Amino acid sequence: MKPENRILAVLSLLVGLLFLSPVLYSIWMSFQTADAFYAGEVAFTLDNYGRAIGQFNFARYLANSLIVSGLVTVLGITLATLAAFAFARFRFPASDLLFGATVATLMIPSHISLIPNYLTLAKAGLLDTYAGLILPAISNGFAAFFLRQYIRGIPKALDEAAYMDGATPLQVLWRIIVPLSRPAISSMALYIFITEWNNYIWPLVAVGRQDLYTLQIGLARLYRVNPGEGLIDWPLVMAASTITILPVLIGFLLVERHLVRGITMGAIK
Amino acid sequence: MTRKLHSTIAATVFALFGTLGTADAATTVKFWHSFNKGQGEALAKIIAQFEAANPGIDVEAEFIGNYNDIVAKLQAAIPARRAPDAVILEITRYGLFANNNILTDLTPYFDADPLKSDLYDYAREVGVINGKNYVVPFNSSTPVLYFNKDIFARAGLSAQTPLKTFDNILAAAKTISEKLGSEGISGIAAPGQFARWGLVMANDSELIDPTTNEILLDKPNTVEAYQWMASLVNHHKVASPDGVTDEDNGRDAFLAGKVGIMMNSTGNYVGSKKAIGDNLVVRPMPCNKVCSVPIGGAGIGIMASSPKEVQDAAYKFISYAASPEANAAWFAATGYLPINKKSAALPVAVKALETQPGIDVAINSLPYAHGRARSTVVTWMRSTEYKMWEAMALGQRKVDETMKDFAEQTRAENQRTSN
Amino acid sequence: MFPAGANSAMLRKLTPYLFVAPLMIFIAVFTYIPILTSLNLSVREWNFLSSNMPFVGLRNYEQLLLSRDFWNSLRVTTLFAVFSVPLRLGAALVIANYLVRETLSSRLLRGALFLPSVTSTVSIAVVFSWVFSTDYGMMNALLEPFGLGRPQWLQDPHLALWVLIFVNTWKQIGYDIVIYIAGLQAIPRELYDAASVDGGRRWHVFRRVTLPLVMPTTYFLLIISVIEAFQVFTIVNVMTHGGPAGATDMLVNLLYEIGFVLFDIGRGSALAVILFVLLVALAIVKSRIIGSKVHYEA
Repeated sequence: MKPENRILAVLSLLVGLLFLSPVLYSIWMSFQTADAFYAGEVAFTLDNYGRAIGQFNFARYLANSLIVSGLVTVLGITLATLAAFAFARFRFPASDLLFGATVATLMIPSHISLIPNYLTLAKAGLLDTYAGLILPAISNGFAAFFLRQYIRGIPKALDEAAYMDGATPLQVLWRIIVPLSRPAISSMALYIFITEWNNYIWPLVAVGRQDLYTLQIGLARLYRVNPGEGLIDWPLVMAASTITILPVLIGFLLVERHLVRGITMGAIK
Repeated sequence: MTRKLHSTIAATVFALFGTLGTADAATTVKFWHSFNKGQGEALAKIIAQFEAANPGIDVEAEFIGNYNDIVAKLQAAIPARRAPDAVILEITRYGLFANNNILTDLTPYFDADPLKSDLYDYAREVGVINGKNYVVPFNSSTPVLYFNKDIFARAGLSAQTPLKTFDNILAAAKTISEKLGSEGISGIAAPGQFARWGLVMANDSELIDPTTNEILLDKPNTVEAYQWMASLVNHHKVASPDGVTDEDNGRDAFLAGKVGIMMNSTGNYVGSKKAIGDNLVVRPMPCNKVCSVPIGGAGIGIMASSPKEVQDAAYKFISYAASPEANAAWFAATGYLPINKKSAALPVAVKALETQPGIDVAINSLPYAHGRARSTVVTWMRSTEYKMWEAMALGQRKVDETMKDFAEQTRAENQRTSN
Repeated sequence: MFPAGANSAMLRKLTPYLFVAPLMIFIAVFTYIPILTSLNLSVREWNFLSSNMPFVGLRNYEQLLLSRDFWNSLRVTTLFAVFSVPLRLGAALVIANYLVRETLSSRLLRGALFLPSVTSTVSIAVVFSWVFSTDYGMMNALLEPFGLGRPQWLQDPHLALWVLIFVNTWKQIGYDIVIYIAGLQAIPRELYDAASVDGGRRWHVFRRVTLPLVMPTTYFLLIISVIEAFQVFTIVNVMTHGGPAGATDMLVNLLYEIGFVLFDIGRGSALAVILFVLLVALAIVKSRIIGSKVHYEA
């Protein structure tokens, strides 16, 4: 990394803080009492988190979001990797057509399937279940496309050596391709997880039961249906909002550190 | 030890997946409603008492949201077959479900129920479409006019200020906004949809004729009432647009002591009393051209798709919810009208009438209260009215043009849905 | 590599299909068949309640195209795209041009700017609902001391769309910056050196070297952000519900309202089909441009 002008550095940091100030302030506000917020005073409390988790069920919503996003990620990556391997390594009749159909999903806006998917899952009796939230989200054409490109960059000789040793295609995928594609798989997994974590319109229509709300739905509703008498309880809403942001934020910071470590290690070598 | 651990894990897993059924063979009645906060607590007590008296029935109540939310969620639930067994439906908006055979006809139950003769005529009438009884009333209301005595005093207005006509109300609201606007207090909350309907009726008109179902949205008196309402926001600026984009904001601001006058359902009485205490004064709605107020509120209907034994259990519950003891407790806890003739004599109601000044204003307005249309198109009309009102109140569209357009659209929709 | 016999030959032929089958089944059920279902529903009359759904021909399309709401939504969505996209891209390019250097502060600032694009949109919408609330919001608290009054950001039909454009820009700009930085880093150093030797000033270098060479990146971002603008829903649903008075009633919000509030399934499906055709056309334009102009992308 290059040395830099200190004034410029400090200035950039200030700009960054200013940019994030609405969110930073909302986190600060979540530790204030509502009375203090409205009076313009400062009074520290953890009560907003207590109420969000206890009274307003945000622990449950957090668990739901983790379950749904987690399963969508695992299943989505599995499906994408299996297909990507076949598209990268096999020539078979209709392979171009099927690959084309996979890539074309990138162009298809998701709203076209909103009403039909609702009806499909309604017929299957899967609305108001985790399956109803998960199934429509696990086919990810972009991940399949991306992984296929990546796998094509892995020398085919490695596969062939394994086949010589009597491995089955599934074993080749699991023992050779997956380990070598780890960077691509993990970045796609992160992408799927974040996308699903922030998904809003589908859970909005697919979930009616409160105990299946994801964080996004729970937060939007807490904001819309003011649970108190009188003016909206902003500190409570911000506590819920912070709970909603936090997991992805922590994940992001972890990955950032990982990236920084990678860069510094490269510099030492 | 391990068995205990296993069963703990199993219980957690079950709880997590929400499939933990009821242990015994009790009949479960899934019930959707629209009451939270203080009203929700009052309803929970009624349910608890019912369950105590009927050990074989378990009422699984869920707060869904406001009346609009319930209609939307119920409609979405039909193809998904995830409708509840019983549901609170606002009394102008259940026609859509009754006419599509979603609600079961309660006439056989109701005719055999002694409750029928105990209900006031006005309450009984709201549950009937074409001679068939689809909902049993639970909470009935009329709009009333609330004001904050303290804000009036600070603006130099006496508590006796006349609030009989549109001009009276505008004058008071103007005084408040002028005197206290700098403190962030506005004169009046933008009227919500129920109050808007009431103001149209006070101007000797209607939105839809209750007997002929003719659409009257572009009648001169209707338009005039909307012109006045819109002018509160965009011309006189005595009502904050906050309450236009979300009518709950208007109520919340009144409860927070930021608004002088609010026209809203009598069901807000107890909540308002709790929030602003003795500063709360209740008056009847204005009689601009005539004295006429709408009967609002909701009744409970039963889904045609529920099994017979569940329907029976659900009817037991809705009959109990309208019984004198439940109704008196509900009246005292919320301010909704007594619907059962025997309620008012019960101690809890007597006490409420004595200690809660103004809770009887709505009762006293019953002689000039009227039922409203409940044809299929009313649901659509009410959903669309919000958009129209926003456009008029925020000065985006002229009132007469908008109401004409609105009337035409409603007629077209009426044509479409009655085919 | 396979057990011997006729079955193994069969199995070998089947292998790739078995690998792609799970993905293909899901794509078919949740992406392709729904397109056909939407087409079918768009020529029918249904409200979820009635047991039959009569065929009504093109009436739903006709009613939609004659309705004020549809043209309002199209106008609002177009305005959103026309103002938000150049704002995003212009600002992103300038910032990226500055942040392309590999210093610690530049990296941190990149992280800060990128953060919103991976953060929950609902959270952002809720936080900015507070920021732009009239009486207790951050924006008015900042403006009032300067005598700028207390605008009712989200209740004023002339302001609300601008608020949404601001929020969307705030959320998405980090992504644009990261893509631009990748594009800038791909420009060979020698070109800059040559331009500097020519005595080019900073602006000159930017205009003559940077701008033309990041053009493919710009095209790419332009198209995807226009497509995105046509799909904005969450911030609208949380912050304004399409109001005040339809001022932020963007197309997907209208679709949601017609479909899941008014339950006019036929008309909602007709709108979905129209929006689909529009967006697929845009996407095809995108793939043409990317195919021909972006050589070093990916």
